[in-house]
Amino acid sequence: MIEFRGVSKTYPGSERPVVNDLSFEVPDGEVCVLVGPSGCGKTTSMRMVNRLIEPSEGQILIDGEPNMSMSGTQLRRKIGYAIQQIGLFPHRTIAENIGTVPGLIGWERDRIRSRTEELLELVGLDPGAYRDRYPAELSGGQQQRVGVARAMAADPPIMLMDEPFGAVDPITRERLQDEFLRIQDNIKKTIVFVTHDIDEAIKMGDKIAILKEGGILAQYDTPENILSAPKSEFVSSFVGSDRVLKRLSLTRVGDVDLEPANGYGDNLPRLSNRMSLKDALSEMIGAGAERSVVVSDGNVLGSLTLDAIRQLSGRTTK
Amino acid sequence: MAVALATVALQSLEPEFFDWVWLRENFSEEVWPAVIGHLYLSLVSVGIALAISLPLGVLVARYRRLYAPVLFVTGFLFTIPSLALFAFLVAAGVGIGPRPVIIGLVSYSLLVLIRNVVTGIDSVAPETIDAARGMGLTNRQILFRVELPLALPVIVAGIRIATVTVIGIAVIGAFIAGGGLGQLIFDGIDRNFPTLVLTGAVMATLMAIFADVALLLVERYMRPWARRARGAN
Amino acid sequence: MLDGIIETLQRPTYPGLLWTHVQLSVLGTLLGILISVPVALAVRNTPLGAAIAVNVGNLGRAIPSLALLAIVFPFLGFGFAAPLIALTALAVPPILINASTGLREVRQEVVDAARGMGLSEGQILTRIQLPIAVPVIFAGVRTSAVQVVASATLATFIGGGALGDLIVEGFSRGDTAILLAGALSVAALAILTEVLFEVLERTFTPKGLKIAQQRRSG
Repeated sequence: MIEFRGVSKTYPGSERPVVNDLSFEVPDGEVCVLVGPSGCGKTTSMRMVNRLIEPSEGQILIDGEPNMSMSGTQLRRKIGYAIQQIGLFPHRTIAENIGTVPGLIGWERDRIRSRTEELLELVGLDPGAYRDRYPAELSGGQQQRVGVARAMAADPPIMLMDEPFGAVDPITRERLQDEFLRIQDNIKKTIVFVTHDIDEAIKMGDKIAILKEGGILAQYDTPENILSAPKSEFVSSFVGSDRVLKRLSLTRVGDVDLEPANGYGDNLPRLSNRMSLKDALSEMIGAGAERSVVVSDGNVLGSLTLDAIRQLSGRTTK
Repeated sequence: MAVALATVALQSLEPEFFDWVWLRENFSEEVWPAVIGHLYLSLVSVGIALAISLPLGVLVARYRRLYAPVLFVTGFLFTIPSLALFAFLVAAGVGIGPRPVIIGLVSYSLLVLIRNVVTGIDSVAPETIDAARGMGLTNRQILFRVELPLALPVIVAGIRIATVTVIGIAVIGAFIAGGGLGQLIFDGIDRNFPTLVLTGAVMATLMAIFADVALLLVERYMRPWARRARGAN
Repeated sequence: MLDGIIETLQRPTYPGLLWTHVQLSVLGTLLGILISVPVALAVRNTPLGAAIAVNVGNLGRAIPSLALLAIVFPFLGFGFAAPLIALTALAVPPILINASTGLREVRQEVVDAARGMGLSEGQILTRIQLPIAVPVIFAGVRTSAVQVVASATLATFIGGGALGDLIVEGFSRGDTAILLAGALSVAALAILTEVLFEVLERTFTPKGLKIAQQRRSG
């Protein structure tokens, strides 16, 4: 559990704080996304967790203990760290990069080796092919995966990620995001994730902290609540005027109550149960259909109407 | 200001070495001619080297096959220790005095200057030349109005390095009666007169540093785009 | 001519001259490294300090080698010490410039990642910054070493007793063979030094960096 208690940061010589009285809690095993426009202090806040930057006021507690209770270097070896420009060590192999922190904290060589292989497979890179390569031989997307693997190497309970998927094209980014969510589903780390992209925040976050310029917390809530009940003008304009549609992207077709499908013709669009309501809406409008059939692995589960979607978008779903 | 600092430093270090009185009295007779002589050697050598390197560099930039052999020959000249080159020129019958010194200095400058002329011309974007040709300029016009002006900053950088190097090596040329500030050093050692040695050495150093800084400013001035970007910062 | 050269090389005094030359060169370069590298390390994190170091280095490069020898001479007289100090001063600028820029050219995000992962400042220096800067530093040492070998020839004028003695002797006696023996010896030393450092540079460049260089130019 990570807790920010009244944290502020003002740089000497500057009048205005970069982070202003930030207080919130990140529960264990959840992803908290810090999001906001440039100058909102999101990266600064993240870097205060592992003390790359020290707060001017306030405290950050990790599992109840102030993060000042040990040296910065010690602290950082327990926290995974992945940044936008990745920063792989160019003079070391992929395996050596990943094994950096385990080596620092004294793992045996065999244990490091097997952990490295495990992680490479986890991020979708064949260990045999990649462990002895050098960063310059990898594409941007591959380097980014190695960056994430490196951050997870010592199996830290907490991870800090600053736009970790930022340096690649949108298609690769989406793939990396999906893979990361899949990994997180299994390992449940406590993660502070920074992005400037509200869509990424909604997709990745269990909780979202929207920060305003000057490092002020505008709202800290689940994506659902932020979309359905924005607390201020700032939040609602930051989220975007299409927030209703964004909310629809949070729910899957397969999760809502469907009407029976019998008797409806074959010329209705067929939608996968894994599709989001937003994409379903898009498909149906595009096909000019009032109703669609929902299938899962070829089995018909039910049918979905535009009306039903309209009603769902007016409600707070589960 | 540097001169003043150096003077103060020297004065405070070993006052009994340095005969200021002598210096004031004999400056125009002994020191100043050496300064002029040194300037003469340096400027003439760089001038001649430039006159050779510019056309040769342009030629080599066009006909790439010539680049490697030209670099090889000039590079080879560069590795011969200057003292040896001067002595050898004398032994080969060129005689003593400024002439062999200038020949030697020119050979040392060739490598740097040719390399920089070629690099400078290379650095002109092909699109620019293409646009110029498309606008109807002849090859000669392109060379003089587009390529050389754009290559100028790199060429000036080469001139700077060559000048500083030449000022340095010209000091050694006094060994074969070339004159210049080296003469003061050699005379001073022979006559056991430290004042002369230090005067010659310090003036040569100051001349070299001054040339370096002055040409650096010229170089910077020639890159208005870099200048403005720095101004924006 | 060739006989004359060989005869000179076989003189009993020749090895002494050669050895003095080598000693001056090696010690001068080593001392240059010992002075420049700590300074470059000290200023690696301060932009102002590094800029000063580089500017001092650039000015230093302009100083004529004979002038340096001549400046030291009145204070230390004839012998080994004066040329050694002058050659050290000559060796410093290229190493200082390269060490300073090399250390600072390690990309920001690599250092940030290292720090964020929990490497101490000392570990960042020894495991990240220095290994990555090594090729650049070696290039600087190579430039210095070759320059020092060439300039050690001039030590003869202040009684340094290196290979320059042969050149001067050959010149004053009008004996080209002796002159050439000296000149060729120095040239051979210079080339040897250049080659030696090329090999060292290649050996000590981390493989990952070589690959990155190839990718960039390929």
